[in-house]
Amino acid sequence: MTRALRDWQLVLPLALFFTVFVFAPLGLLGVVSFYTDTTLTKAGPTQYVKFLTDGFNMAVLGQTLWLGLLATLVALAIGYPLAYIYTVVPAAAQRALMLVIVLPLLTSAVVRTFAWVVILGRQGIVNSALAALGFIDGPLRLLYTPSAVVIALAQIQLPLMVLPVITALANIDPNLRHASHVLGAGRWRTLFEVTLPLSAPGLLAGCLLVYAGSVSAFVTQTLVGGGQLMLMPQYMYQQAIQANNYPFAAAVAMILLAAVLAIVVLVNLLSRRTQALVHG
Amino acid sequence: MSRQGVALTLDAITHRFGHTVAVNGVSLRVEPGEIVALLGPSGCGKTTLLRIVAGLLRQSDGHVAVGDDIVDDLPPNERGAGIVFQNYALFPHMTVEGNVGYGLRAQGTPRKAIAESVARMLALVRMEGFERRLPRQLSGGQQQRVALARTLAVSPRVLLLDEPFGALDKNLRLDMQIEVKRLQRELDITTIMVTHDQEEALSLADRVAVMNHGRVEQFARPDEIYDRPASLFVATFVGTASLLRGTLAPDGALECVAGRLPLGVATRPAGAVVAAVRPEHFRFADGAGAGLDAKVELVLPLGPLVVYDVVLADGTTLKVTVSRGAGAVSHAPGDVVRLALAPGAPVPVFPA
Repeated sequence: MTRALRDWQLVLPLALFFTVFVFAPLGLLGVVSFYTDTTLTKAGPTQYVKFLTDGFNMAVLGQTLWLGLLATLVALAIGYPLAYIYTVVPAAAQRALMLVIVLPLLTSAVVRTFAWVVILGRQGIVNSALAALGFIDGPLRLLYTPSAVVIALAQIQLPLMVLPVITALANIDPNLRHASHVLGAGRWRTLFEVTLPLSAPGLLAGCLLVYAGSVSAFVTQTLVGGGQLMLMPQYMYQQAIQANNYPFAAAVAMILLAAVLAIVVLVNLLSRRTQALVHG
Repeated sequence: MSRQGVALTLDAITHRFGHTVAVNGVSLRVEPGEIVALLGPSGCGKTTLLRIVAGLLRQSDGHVAVGDDIVDDLPPNERGAGIVFQNYALFPHMTVEGNVGYGLRAQGTPRKAIAESVARMLALVRMEGFERRLPRQLSGGQQQRVALARTLAVSPRVLLLDEPFGALDKNLRLDMQIEVKRLQRELDITTIMVTHDQEEALSLADRVAVMNHGRVEQFARPDEIYDRPASLFVATFVGTASLLRGTLAPDGALECVAGRLPLGVATRPAGAVVAAVRPEHFRFADGAGAGLDAKVELVLPLGPLVVYDVVLADGTTLKVTVSRGAGAVSHAPGDVVRLALAPGAPVPVFPA
């Protein structure tokens, strides 16, 4: 047996797993999406035509991608400074901070989502606090709003932003920052001209992970959005489970997949360019 | 282009990391336009001292003055100190032009003036035509030239070099040493260089500060450091020295197990002493006269020189180098020889 063949055998379990549990269902989904009726008798691209020509459907897609983008930006705005702070504090503080950063990963997304429901609800912490302080008379509507979904998604996906950025920042030679300071650049110039560009690969990786996670986060979208917001994952669920329209649900899934993949490819191209700059 | 060099004064600098004292009461005055090497083994505090001068580290005690100005409270960029890092620390995502112009951009210099200055700096370090290259497209020596240009572009009053030639291979090292010396002379810029390489320190610097355990053991001209080391550490760290243990006779001769060695100079510590003898200061004497009895262990012919390892009766090994001139007597391993000192050879003696 040749070496290459032996090495291939090591990949076999994973390949098998992926084939059975990822590629096969995905293929099946693809096939189902090309039926015109719910009983799967006639093939044709009608589901796609229906989706792409209907303003409501396109609005759902746009809304989903938009909320994903907003959640990514919020996660970036919170996550990048957090990662930066991590790289400059002493080792003891780093350990504590790392625990705080990864803690969300150790709890289930459902638990984290319910926490947000508790925080933002009519009798939630925010409303109670504001009422107790006399700022408001009645409870504010915080839950079931797009902002709530964005904030909850950003928080829940935050570790996926912070961890790659920490890695990228830690890889920057501290002497580059020192050189920048000695040459007369202040903190901000150093941040924008040296630190930020050199951490771009980690930053883009983080954005990609948060974005992909956010647009497909069914549980958070549904519970914090409360069914008031129609987003792609929930739309799929509704069409498949409630309307029993599997071909259309499959088409929705394929379109979301294509939209996300297109963005992944785009960002990857960008990050390859920045990586070439950073690592040479 | 020339500028007026300024003096750099370090006044009782002490630096502690937690409970460790990295720099211990160092006072140095570097004269305007002088190049001073901080020489010492790793961990002796020389790099810490350099970072303190650069303003990257705030000393626990003492003062740094550039010219007449105490700069302790000034940030790095306001001290007029430029530093070239050991790994050059060029910005990898910027071109040569971008790197060299960085400091001027940070100062808000107009575009046109930056372009002119960058061109002048690149000419100074002989890197014209490389403006659009990225650092990774340059060799080590070229990167160092760019790093020098970037530092010099902001017209620092003091130039700091951190192990400047450590990352270069041997052939390139000599070229860059000459280049740095040329630049330093041309600009008449006060320079401090950190190095653990004694040859580099002795050949480049006007004066050398030998550091050990956070202290300056000796601050003097290279020949003085070599001929009249102030401490046993300096004697052994700089150059090669064989150590002879014994006592001093009233006539100034060293008496040890292997014999008597007249040393020739007057003021001596009493009691047990250690004499540090350079290998080239020994010579082989004929049987008669004072000297040390020794046995040749190893002979290494090195072109114009021969290096002998000889051993004394008490097991002390000494290094002896003799030039292989015409008519020189050569010895073979196992030969019994008598060692004397070359006339006028400086032999420092320290209390044991």
